[in-house]
Amino acid sequence: MLHLEGLGCGYRDMQAVHDLDLNVEAGSITALLGANGAGKSSTLMCIAGHVEIKTGRIIYQKSDISDSTPMSRVRSGIAVVPEGRRLFPRLSVKENLVVGGYVRPKQRSDGGMAKVMDLFPRLKDRLGQTAGALSGGEQQMLAIGRALMSEPELLLVDELSLGLMPKMVDICYDAITALNRAGMTIILVEQNTHRALEAASQVCVLESGHAVWKGSAGEAAGNQEMINAFLGIR
Amino acid sequence: MTHRWRAVQTYPETIYSMLWFELLIQGIIHGSMYAIIAVGLSLVYGLLRILHVAHAGLFTLGGYLGLLLTNATGSLILATPVAAAVVGVIGMIIYRVCYHPILDQPPYVALIASIGLFIAMEEIYRLIFGPYGLSYARPPLQFQVQFFGIQLRAAEVGMVVVSTVLLTALSYLSQKTRLGIAWRATVDDPQMAASFGIDAVRVRYLNFFIGSALAAVGGIYVSLLSNLVEPTMGGVPSYKALAIIVLGGLGNLKGTLIAALLLGIVEAFGTIYIGQWLDRDAIAFALLIVILMIRPQGLFAGR
Repeated sequence: MLHLEGLGCGYRDMQAVHDLDLNVEAGSITALLGANGAGKSSTLMCIAGHVEIKTGRIIYQKSDISDSTPMSRVRSGIAVVPEGRRLFPRLSVKENLVVGGYVRPKQRSDGGMAKVMDLFPRLKDRLGQTAGALSGGEQQMLAIGRALMSEPELLLVDELSLGLMPKMVDICYDAITALNRAGMTIILVEQNTHRALEAASQVCVLESGHAVWKGSAGEAAGNQEMINAFLGIR
Repeated sequence: MTHRWRAVQTYPETIYSMLWFELLIQGIIHGSMYAIIAVGLSLVYGLLRILHVAHAGLFTLGGYLGLLLTNATGSLILATPVAAAVVGVIGMIIYRVCYHPILDQPPYVALIASIGLFIAMEEIYRLIFGPYGLSYARPPLQFQVQFFGIQLRAAEVGMVVVSTVLLTALSYLSQKTRLGIAWRATVDDPQMAASFGIDAVRVRYLNFFIGSALAAVGGIYVSLLSNLVEPTMGGVPSYKALAIIVLGGLGNLKGTLIAALLLGIVEAFGTIYIGQWLDRDAIAFALLIVILMIRPQGLFAGR
């Protein structure tokens, strides 16, 4: 579904990711793991179109999307749940969801909202509340729901568990695995290695912007080389 | 005896209550005029963090176009939307030519460009229309209407009605439509809004169109009230609108509307009670200084 071919990306003069090759199969969950500053979020935001590509290509559904805008990537089925949620804090929960479904016809908005409410019933009672007034867990639910409103085929999730209570982490991971079971392809950036390995089917470990290990989640769980790479003690 | 005493007691009260009511109505008339001008300025600041001083030049242009079209067609109803639409498009052109190329520069660059543009616009009006001002051939809406015992000019009532209708429509657009929600999302976080397929550039054009069109309507009604359009008529509204958007919390639309009405009412009462010490136009800044001393962020939080 998605192929990163020699991808290099970064900000102005600084290159955060170097020569990354990654193949993401349709219907998989791919976890990008690594320490702080390893280049995980940069890779994710580059796929979403928010970080400048320096080298290489991004092939999505057999098309080269390297030069396309974030807007056209959403239209083609890529949605992002960014780190820190980045909701529209002054907009209500319902309005945030409307923004999420902006690229789809208005008639489909109600159906999309009903699906989000099925996934996160807790949001039903909060529809009129401003997003900034929600708890951290509810905000994460809303961030996932907002991304789902664009009916994505590829969902990019950055730091799903960051700053959440364990119960909320469970709810969010349950939602992610349910979406994956329904056929959605997911790329997950996560510092919580344990939870990521439970959910993921394949793993790519990054260190200082380079891919240092790739394999299945099963291989990764018991692999000392991967753990060393992840902890940055090579 | 008792009856005469009661008459003496109640006579001044009636006078005062009528005076206060009239001042309140005058304050609302001026406040609605300030609101329709300041909202456009607030819209631009909220979205782009630019103090769009040249907005007052568009207000003047609205006055000129409204007057010329009304004189040519004899119809204010026709002239108002046409002038508003033309000024709206010119506002979009100003965004494209003056602001778009310098959006990644520090805010003072856009401010300097805007001041320069405003001065240039005044000089262009002077060259095209002459320095002395123009008047309506047959000024519309000059008949008197009675409102709870107060005599008002129809143009004054028109100012309040048109402002209320347009600002209610703007509120409906921003709160109840997908486009309006997308617009507010772009104000909150342009990058995230773009990542959900909202075209930020289109939103900016829309912003400039609506803000400039509202300023044009303000210009038309101000020119109706004074039956005069002159190149410098944007000067006073420009600094009052700046005071209003600071008072209301920079970029906060609700705050802007409330601050505009408050300024109109304070000015109306101020001209009677402190008019011998303070000019009407100075009252805006006295109010601004007093409120900023108490609430440095303005009456409401800015964006």
